[in-house]
Amino acid sequence: MPVTPALDIAELTVRYGDTVAVDALDLQISPGETVALLGANGAGKSSTVNAALGLFRPSAGRVLLHGRSPAEAVRAGGVGAMLQHGGLPSESRVGEVLALVRRRYDQPWPLADLLATTGIDGLLDRGVDALSGGQRQRVLLALALAGAPPLLLLDEPTSAMDVEARQAFWTTMRGLAGRGHTVVFATHHLEEADAVADRVVVIAGGRVVADGSAASIKSRVAGRTIRFRCAGPRGDLAGLPGVTDVGGDADRVELTTSDAEATLRALLAGPRSLPDLEVRGATLEQAFLHLIDASGALR
Amino acid sequence: MTDLLLFQLRRVGRNRQYLFFTVLLPALFTIFFTKVIGGQLQPGDYQDVAGATMISMMAYGAIGAALGATIRLAFDRSSGWLRQLRVLPVPPAATLAVDVLVGALLVLPSLVVVALVGRFVNGVEFPLGTWLVLLAVMWAGAVVFVALGVAVGLALDAQAAGAAIGILGAILAALGGLWFPVEAFPAGMVPLAHAMPSYWYAELGRDLAGGTFSVTPVLALAGFGLVFAAAARLVAVRRPLHAVAG
Repeated sequence: MPVTPALDIAELTVRYGDTVAVDALDLQISPGETVALLGANGAGKSSTVNAALGLFRPSAGRVLLHGRSPAEAVRAGGVGAMLQHGGLPSESRVGEVLALVRRRYDQPWPLADLLATTGIDGLLDRGVDALSGGQRQRVLLALALAGAPPLLLLDEPTSAMDVEARQAFWTTMRGLAGRGHTVVFATHHLEEADAVADRVVVIAGGRVVADGSAASIKSRVAGRTIRFRCAGPRGDLAGLPGVTDVGGDADRVELTTSDAEATLRALLAGPRSLPDLEVRGATLEQAFLHLIDASGALR
Repeated sequence: MTDLLLFQLRRVGRNRQYLFFTVLLPALFTIFFTKVIGGQLQPGDYQDVAGATMISMMAYGAIGAALGATIRLAFDRSSGWLRQLRVLPVPPAATLAVDVLVGALLVLPSLVVVALVGRFVNGVEFPLGTWLVLLAVMWAGAVVFVALGVAVGLALDAQAAGAAIGILGAILAALGGLWFPVEAFPAGMVPLAHAMPSYWYAELGRDLAGGTFSVTPVLALAGFGLVFAAAARLVAVRRPLHAVAG
């Protein structure tokens, strides 16, 4: 019998008025995976996460979390979440909020371990209104973990953190993944996806446009372009080391490469002269556009 | 749900501003108005003025407490807490029910403190039964303003709701005859007073204190209560608890 996916999204469509935020998206995530949903702002990451949590009813499609509906999963403590627009109650103390939430579960995460795991040991007596951005996110993480959920959904969890807090947060996440939790997080930072996830799902235009290991996505996303003027034959260019795409117009060649150094060495070793040579890093936006183009999602 | 109720009550208890406006201020007004107006009167007239002032201030405090407690919905939406609760095993109906209950419970200290000030500082005298009925009925009547506060707290974002509640409280108090008795109003403004739920709320109290009972205030309050509850329900459907502020 196949294993029930931790997260099973089929044909999910989310519309806001005339805007299609998520467009018949399919995604299966197995228990224990650490998956980054990578995409630009407005790509449909948050809508996907929110629909998976039952925060609104999708226009079409189905979401199951370990075989249960979002509402059931939330009720049973089967999923913990950090929301982009989530927050803590003013005029309360961290310990009070944590106690309130832990009491909702039959088998909450043991307190001492929860505090150590999320790094909020010293904050229990602290007023919620006096927390720093990083501390606040850690408390929200503790709430997400309070029911010891097998599945964690995190929507841009580090957006309010400084670099140090960010690193500490992802160290915690790697630890959780190592303990068998399924971690799914939305981000628009390629580096985060690369550093933490063992699978990266690139979302654009409400669809999955790429899905693979961090390394394979990175090689496509972190590509560079090499341009030079070239009037002669170009048949050999596609075979150069690192080259993934040959483009340009009648006058100029534009090579997309995953290894600019190797491509350049080969070009310079060859007989061709390279007038007006330029090497540029592809921006993430370009990379997304490239991926969207390649998948034909927006055509 | 008890733990959520206690949690919410503890939060309000930390808010000194709330306690000042809903308990201390009405109590101070009760003394001030009575001493200023009642000072030069004969003993019989003094009793009437002191009793009427006390009831107006009970109504004023109760309305402020009911509105001030329920406006917290707007704050909790702005902070993201309502949305957070939605991904925790807390049913939205329980969240709303607790805030309604908090609003209803917090009315009681305002009523009791003003009544105590009326009795022991201003010397208002009623039979014990009248005191108890007065407190019970005014407590129950405050649910009208809880419903109004829930509607406003759900409909508006924190800043707008804060302003709206302040303005509403002032309008209800001034036009409803809680600060100045309606008998002192120019004739043209009396119908305006009669259009205020606060007027009928205080009128209900004045009837009970005078040992009479008429059905008009009850019907008027019930009507306002139904309208406010319907409005709150409509807003709750159109703008659910987990909807993002802004």
